[in-house]
Amino acid sequence: MSLQIGDELPVVVTPPIDRLRIAYMAVSMRDPNLVHVEDSYAAKSGLPSVIAHGTFVTSYAGAAISRAVGMDAVRKIRVDVTAPVFPGDVLRTHAVVTGSEPVPDGRLLTIELTVTNQDGVRVGRGTAAVEQPAA
Amino acid sequence: MARQVGHRFPGREFIVDPVRVEEYVLALGVEPEPDYRAEPGAVVPPGFFMYVTSYGAGPVHDLLDFDMFRTVYGGSEVEYLHPVRVGDRLVVTPEITGVSEKDGKSGHLTFVELTTEYTREDGTVVVVERSNTVQRS
Repeated sequence: MSLQIGDELPVVVTPPIDRLRIAYMAVSMRDPNLVHVEDSYAAKSGLPSVIAHGTFVTSYAGAAISRAVGMDAVRKIRVDVTAPVFPGDVLRTHAVVTGSEPVPDGRLLTIELTVTNQDGVRVGRGTAAVEQPAA
Repeated sequence: MARQVGHRFPGREFIVDPVRVEEYVLALGVEPEPDYRAEPGAVVPPGFFMYVTSYGAGPVHDLLDFDMFRTVYGGSEVEYLHPVRVGDRLVVTPEITGVSEKDGKSGHLTFVELTTEYTREDGTVVVVERSNTVQRS
């Protein structure tokens, strides 16, 4: 697939980020932070319930890129987490090519990323640089 | 004290084991590429480095001497210099590369930027991650 400035990558719609997924991620990361698994601990931080790891947001943004251009093409990704993700949230990624410059083996594309939840709240924002080989 | 710019933590070994990558993909419920399998030799999903392996090298709250009740992860920028494959043995070395303080509406905030190098056994730096963590006072 040869991407041009203005092209939108296929949207990724996540499964609901339920408490079981959050628990899987906590175990995978060896994360001792109880804000992800105990509501009473989350309340101490002023939260209405446990929250998902920011890694979910950054990872779904990364997956939107890698599913479109292949994992080998990804050179750089930056994602800032901008709002909490609560159990049951469903996220959508939006990725659009905003830049394209020539490099020795093809082109380096800049992609702007946004991740929003089911209420339209932006939970993540960032950019990616991917290499597209010469056609 | 540990929270000073330039403080480099000791490198720790991290083996990219297939079960760990599989767990990560399972938690997300979205494959990094269609039909992805976390088998030895498979490319590791780019998102795997966004904070997961900083934890593998030791919980970030402990590294930064932060109180986990008041700490929030703000995001990462990751540079992929060479492909990393399931089965690779890496050395993970975090360094504090930025500390700033700000008074905002949520109170006093301390921002710490951690730059983590992931190095192959032959010394090649394969991934560099810059992550931001914020503690509220």
